[in-house]
Amino acid sequence: MNLKHVWIVFKKEVKDIIRDRRTIITSILVPMILIPLLNILVGGNVEKLNRDITENITVALSESSNTEEIRNLVKNEVIKDYPNISLIEVDDPIEAIKESKVRVVLDFEEDYLTKLNEGKPFVIKLLYDKSQTKSEGSLGFIWDAIDNFNRKIVERRLDTYGISKDILTPAVIEESNIADEKESAGSILAMIFPILIVILMSSAGIAPATDLVAGEKERNTFEPLLTTKPSRLSLLVGKYLTVTLFSFITVIATMVGVIIGYVINPSSFSMGSGTNITGFSIPPVALLLVIIISITLGMTFSALQIAFSTYAKSFKEAQTYLSFLMIAVMIPGYATMFMQPKEIPVYMFFVPVLNALSAFKTVFGYSIDYTYLFYTLGSSVVYVIISLWLTASLFTKEKFLFRS
Amino acid sequence: MIDIQGLSKHFDKVVAVDGISFKVNKGEVFGLLGENGAGKTTTLRMLATMLTPTSGTAKMAGFDIINEPEKVRGSIGILFGGESGLYDRLTAEENIAYFGELNDMDRNRIKERIKELAKVFNMEDYLSRRAGKLSKGMRQKVAFARAIIHDPDIMLLDEPTSGLDVSAIRDVHEFIKRCKSEGKTVIFSSHSMDEVEKLCDRVGVIHKGRLVATGTLDEIKSQYGDSDLENIFIRLVGGKSES
Ligand SMILES: Nc1ncnc2c1ncn2[C@@H]1O[C@H](COP(=O)(O)OP(=O)(O)OP(=O)(O)O)[C@@H](O)[C@H]1O
Ligand SMILES: [Mg+2]
Repeated sequence: MNLKHVWIVFKKEVKDIIRDRRTIITSILVPMILIPLLNILVGGNVEKLNRDITENITVALSESSNTEEIRNLVKNEVIKDYPNISLIEVDDPIEAIKESKVRVVLDFEEDYLTKLNEGKPFVIKLLYDKSQTKSEGSLGFIWDAIDNFNRKIVERRLDTYGISKDILTPAVIEESNIADEKESAGSILAMIFPILIVILMSSAGIAPATDLVAGEKERNTFEPLLTTKPSRLSLLVGKYLTVTLFSFITVIATMVGVIIGYVINPSSFSMGSGTNITGFSIPPVALLLVIIISITLGMTFSALQIAFSTYAKSFKEAQTYLSFLMIAVMIPGYATMFMQPKEIPVYMFFVPVLNALSAFKTVFGYSIDYTYLFYTLGSSVVYVIISLWLTASLFTKEKFLFRS
Repeated sequence: MIDIQGLSKHFDKVVAVDGISFKVNKGEVFGLLGENGAGKTTTLRMLATMLTPTSGTAKMAGFDIINEPEKVRGSIGILFGGESGLYDRLTAEENIAYFGELNDMDRNRIKERIKELAKVFNMEDYLSRRAGKLSKGMRQKVAFARAIIHDPDIMLLDEPTSGLDVSAIRDVHEFIKRCKSEGKTVIFSSHSMDEVEKLCDRVGVIHKGRLVATGTLDEIKSQYGDSDLENIFIRLVGGKSES
């Protein structure tokens, strides 16, 4: 290998790729914009939906129970303590649910008043539309309001007998969340960030890797290149460094995107889960390890991508292989998405891809154990070496270079 | 200048080239004639060090293709196939300069040489245009310049006129003549008798990986008692395939 030759190839390939508007768009612009956009859209929508479900809940009375008496009962007793619920007048209550004008329709039993006065249970039917998220989501609040109404009536009745209302609640529940704010925020990040980093690392090199070998074969520039002075290894390393560079650039672009998304809308990070993540901070050493592990991951993927691109008979074939590679990486990512950082078995810190996913999970989930991080780092370095060796032996074998 | 000694290439069970030996003197244009699958491309790829021979070797400008592949590559220029493969997003000049750099030329020398070649091939107007925006003819000239930027002693051309139109073919022929006039040693493969007759000092007929005849055109014609090269070719090739 001749470093001067490597540098010449690297310089040319970078120049070539930078001039390709498509690569710039897919490897820099899209990752930079996509994440904030997705965060804002998804986060914003979930929030809006949550707000809509909890606020401005409209209810109506069925035609048969729409009397002055019942209206007053509902207004003054049932929903009085619920400023987010309002009773409205509609012509056709059922139609109103379908048109989303009303979330829930209340239908009172005909002789409810007699039953109420006699202390017997009467029925309130709740009509709603299960196919509408908002209608179904609001149901709980109506339940709550009616529960509250029931309790009030019972308390009143007990009062007339001179019995304390405490008799109704033998046990009082108090709950407290022992996870501090950091940990709850961490668990969300532990879910999203590892898979995000791994997918980006595995997809970033696709465009340059296909272009640099399969593309060069297809455009008939590969044979002249192979007959210039540099050894195949020098050519390979020059190309490899280019692919690696672009996968790093993509990752940096994504991180910038994440930060932009966070600045525009901090709550988008929690994806509408309501968890507050202002307490988010990672020890610098752990963060450094995350970056180094990401880099080894990028190096491994770049090598494999070049290997596939070399093996492929055409540009199309190379693209197909590399898409499969990306899907193969997504499977362990999604499979472990809901795994808690503390549940990860030790062997996972040694398995390719899973090791990085696990390490990221522990860091973002605030259960950092440096021993495990170094397991991941060590095994990742081994995988870099293996992938490079594999690619180098493929690239220097004429059997694969001249497949046609 | 070129000394091929018992060169063979097997791909698994296919014997693509089978013990070829011949010499090409300095400044000669040697035509490699053969039908489809005869082994022309494979031979030239071995000479260009792209493929490793199964057995045998060759000396190119004094360097051994097996032991000194880098030095061999530094002394050859190639033009493989009719369509010129260029990097579309680089300018014509950058395309040519890249190959100069790869062949260890220094920057100033590359600049000078490109100026020279631009004049020779009439490329001055479009040197700074992107290769992807050039016409076929322009691309071809860029490919010529790229092949000889480092002023190699030997040129290897594999069916350089296949699939080209008449004027492009004439340009290739001009290019071969220019290489010859500059004292370069040229091997080019072809299907076309006319082109071989027009350009070559000596020819070799290759059939099923074997060299079935070599010599100057006159030698071959007198040896077979026929003045029509095409007839001789058919006899050589046809006779073999019956066996
Ligand atoms: N990379 C390869 N792998 C396997 N077999 C090959 C390979 N390259 C060439 N061959 C086989 O070797 C033989 C010679 O092929 P070659 O390309 O050298 O012929 P050619 O004379 O250049 O033919 P053409 O005029 O069609 O270009 C053919 O049978 C071909 O199928
Ligand atoms: Mg051929």
